Amino acid sequence: MRAIEIEAYQCKKCGKIHYPFHDRCLACKGREFEIIKPQGNAKLVTFTQIFNLPWGFDQRFLFIGVAEFENGIKAMGQIKAESGENLKLGMSMKPTWDAVRYQAGEPVYGLIFEPLG
Amino acid sequence: MAGREHFRDVAIIGAGMIPFGRRDEDSLMDMLAYASLNALDDAGMGDQTVDAVYVANMGGGILQHQTAIASSLVDRLSLLPAAAETIENGPASGASAVKNGLLAVASGYYDMVLVVGGEKMREVTGWRATDFVATMTHPLAEYIYGVTLPGMAGMFTRLYMERYGVTREHLVGVAVKNQEMGGLNPYAHVEMAITRQGIFDSPDSVVNNPPVADPLHLYDACPVSDGAAALILCPLEMAKKAKKPAVLIAGFGQATDTQTLQEREDPTDLKAVTLAAQQAYEMAQVKPGDIDLAELHDAFTILEIAESEHVGFFKKGEGGKAVAAGKTRLGGQIPINVSGGLKARGHPVGATGVAQVVDIVFQLRQEVGKARQVKNARTGLTVNFGGFGNNVLAFVLRRVDS
Repeated sequence: MRAIEIEAYQCKKCGKIHYPFHDRCLACKGREFEIIKPQGNAKLVTFTQIFNLPWGFDQRFLFIGVAEFENGIKAMGQIKAESGENLKLGMSMKPTWDAVRYQAGEPVYGLIFEPLG
Repeated sequence: MAGREHFRDVAIIGAGMIPFGRRDEDSLMDMLAYASLNALDDAGMGDQTVDAVYVANMGGGILQHQTAIASSLVDRLSLLPAAAETIENGPASGASAVKNGLLAVASGYYDMVLVVGGEKMREVTGWRATDFVATMTHPLAEYIYGVTLPGMAGMFTRLYMERYGVTREHLVGVAVKNQEMGGLNPYAHVEMAITRQGIFDSPDSVVNNPPVADPLHLYDACPVSDGAAALILCPLEMAKKAKKPAVLIAGFGQATDTQTLQEREDPTDLKAVTLAAQQAYEMAQVKPGDIDLAELHDAFTILEIAESEHVGFFKKGEGGKAVAAGKTRLGGQIPINVSGGLKARGHPVGATGVAQVVDIVFQLRQEVGKARQVKNARTGLTVNFGGFGNNVLAFVLRRVDS
């Protein structure tokens, strides 16, 4: 299994967690950050099933959501699901790192969440 | 804001647009030119020039492979040697161009300014157009996943429904109302009235109104449109001498928010909408209750409901119920999107913010015809929503009788 390559940024001055990167802390304007990695499973914050996909996606639909990791990092990712019936806000998701799209024949890697029961 | 007391009052003396829709016969430059000429003619300036031109356009570089659009337009319109630039601010480009025109005249630097917004989106496939609009999302944290603007709106809607009790019926109410108004607007892209039965109640609704980004369905989303709209701005004192009633830009506000939804403390809180409206109200010295009609950025039905709450027309959680009670219809407590809104007028992204102001100008001048006219309308509000609420502009417009 591939490691999750996401890096989040915790402000050294006030502790606020940022993802994606900001040059200055959104809370205190600090410029020094400690790089932190997502920890554990993630809780589903919201999601949608998109049927009208953008250029580059040759499939019928795509589930996309935002989830919060155990250490507070929030990130968007694709969701491995065939139907939205079993997806519930707040449910636990296992994060994986895999190809989320292909550009010029090359895979682009990103977060894919797998619902945990 | 510091120094505003030195500003001149700025008014709109010309407004014009072209019908939105699929305009295969016209290039982007054609549309910008036609709308500009309509505004110049409306201002009675058919053979005159202006000091500066602000052109709102989001996608010319991507969709038409054309840049420096403002330079090309002033040449085509024989407005040389007017100052000219293109303003790009995503789907809020139109209001940003109006703002730049406003500040240029308010400062005293220019007297006569043309603001025009346009977009040609239908010459590419829906697949490409969806991708073009998605380029405003974060390249690494959002775009790569295939998220679209309807997708962002779908995720927002799910949270809003969960937290504030908005229902699909409320959303359907917005769609039916706005398409009914679009049918009365000769400039609207969608002129087909729809029924609640056709898109919600009947068994056929499953086919007629499929999901596009669950829980949003086809009729919750605005169409992809071609179109352009234009305004002529000048000092209020000059506008008072014109034949038509002047419309004062009484208030203006703009605010930004985080690029990604997930970094907002409360993703259902559209802070930039609240702040932009508050600034505009404060400058115009009005309250939400003083507004006679509003053009809100309903790229998705949920946004009309959420914005109606964030600009202070209704309390949080009351916007959906207000639609169901008819409070936002023509003749209701606060008529919203009597133009048809983005939902029916269409959403050529660079044109929308200008078109919203044009619509309010026509209303305040009592020019839209009885079926769509808000009686005794004197003060209007516009909200132009960029990104997913990360760059929002609001204007308060007021009729001034000389």
